[in-house]
Amino acid sequence: MGRRKLKLLESRRLLTLLLAGVFLWSLSTVDWRGPLIHTGGLAAFLDFVASLFPPEMSPGFLGLALSASWQTLAYAVAGITLAVLIGFPLGVIASGSVSGSPRTGLGLAVAVRLILAAMRSIHELVWAVLFVAAFGLSSLTVILALALPYSGILGRIYGELFNQVPEGPLRALRSSGASPFRVLLYGRLPMALPDMLGYTFYRLECAIRSAAIMSFVGIRGLGYEIQLSLHDLLFDQVWTLLLFMVGMVVLVDMWSSRVRRSLVT
Amino acid sequence: MTFARASLYGFVVLALVSWGYILAATDSGAADLVSAKTWSNAGNFSRQLIGVDSPTRPAYLEVDRWLVTGRLALDTLAMSVLAIVLTGVAVLPTFLPGARNVSNGDLGGAPSRLGTLFYHGVRLAFTLTRAVPELVWAMVIVFFLSPGILPGAVALAVHNYGVVGRLSAEVVENLEPGPARALRSAGASNIQMLIYSIFPQALPHFITYLLYRWEVIIRTTVVVGLVSAGGLGREFRLSLSFFHYTDLALLIMWYLILVIAVDLLSAWLRRLVTGRG
Repeated sequence: MGRRKLKLLESRRLLTLLLAGVFLWSLSTVDWRGPLIHTGGLAAFLDFVASLFPPEMSPGFLGLALSASWQTLAYAVAGITLAVLIGFPLGVIASGSVSGSPRTGLGLAVAVRLILAAMRSIHELVWAVLFVAAFGLSSLTVILALALPYSGILGRIYGELFNQVPEGPLRALRSSGASPFRVLLYGRLPMALPDMLGYTFYRLECAIRSAAIMSFVGIRGLGYEIQLSLHDLLFDQVWTLLLFMVGMVVLVDMWSSRVRRSLVT
Repeated sequence: MTFARASLYGFVVLALVSWGYILAATDSGAADLVSAKTWSNAGNFSRQLIGVDSPTRPAYLEVDRWLVTGRLALDTLAMSVLAIVLTGVAVLPTFLPGARNVSNGDLGGAPSRLGTLFYHGVRLAFTLTRAVPELVWAMVIVFFLSPGILPGAVALAVHNYGVVGRLSAEVVENLEPGPARALRSAGASNIQMLIYSIFPQALPHFITYLLYRWEVIIRTTVVVGLVSAGGLGREFRLSLSFFHYTDLALLIMWYLILVIAVDLLSAWLRRLVTGRG
């Protein structure tokens, strides 16, 4: 009986039906009776699209967009560096490869993995809202909020990468009498480093987006300027700022994919 | 290796300049971090979250408060499902033309000018939507759509369209070309080749990415809800501005329940899709 139940649970047709049902339920939660589009929403949309041709291009505004981009980049880079500093030691412990006794090593690893999971359960902006309420608004508060979930994800990935390195060289180190710490330093770390670097660069791109939305708690940068321009209904300025955002993300993306490619070969 | 090394040094310089800028040119609050007042404020805030000094019972001990906010949690879950379905529906018809090896005929089809044009258009759409964060899309979209679940879901879907679309297109670019070419040499048309070879090969990856993104989306629903006024996010903002801190604690509990539930569900569904376990 139990076996049959399991089969039924895993049959794909049932699953498809279930997912279709969930989707219909999600549709039913939308209030379809009221107007979906604002009065004037369509006009606003057309106005928004039309404002792309052309976006605001005055030198003064381009200068403003450039300095806002720099602010956002600085927050993103600061957040990522802090996340690496926190995530790296946690990743080492999470890999369970640091302690001599397997028992304490595993216990520590499980505990740290739970901490990492808790850190990344909460979105960086939710952390920021809470931290600002607790500590007041300052750039360090916001950078800490940004770094927390990023440490959680970096720590997890670093830990997994430490565990994925080939066993052979590690065994050679161990048999020549190296302590677990030395095995980590001379064995796991150099072998995992290329992937760690590639992943961290990828996360930098995400951090730029996260830094931009910290405008919500009052941090200056691209998101802040977008909010101001939206508030004044200056859609052509919004487009300029969005394009700066896109440009910055594309540049970092190109940099990080070149780093990853040079590491593969 | 040299480029990676130069990048590493470059990044270190960038990090130093960024930290220098933040400590020198912004209101860094470094002095506040060591002041006793900041820490006593933070202590007060945590006590208010738990509700130790409050005359009334904390909200998270009241059953009816759990029920009222549970409704919002359901709305938030619905928003995430709607977002992921919208993403899937939008990506499905576009990720094949967005793959370079499909558009340039590397898989055996004939390259056409239309295909190339479509490829660049789709890639541009992926980049534009992906580069802008969900919250910014939400800020723009509330100008058009009435507040509630829908604008939040649309904002999440717009950003994730770019993320999932790009990943899925890259999967197609990295596929084994063998099966497609075999079909081709057996006389299959372009469309047949796509439907019977490329699509079934890419589909499990595509669904897996959608499920992974669902985990990210559920974390972001609250953030998007802050501006789109739907689900937990709206209540979060209200409780914060009315200083109803024990309500805030209750909302965070619901948020964590949703995140953990979706993580588990997504892991289970991914196992079903890949057929392992």
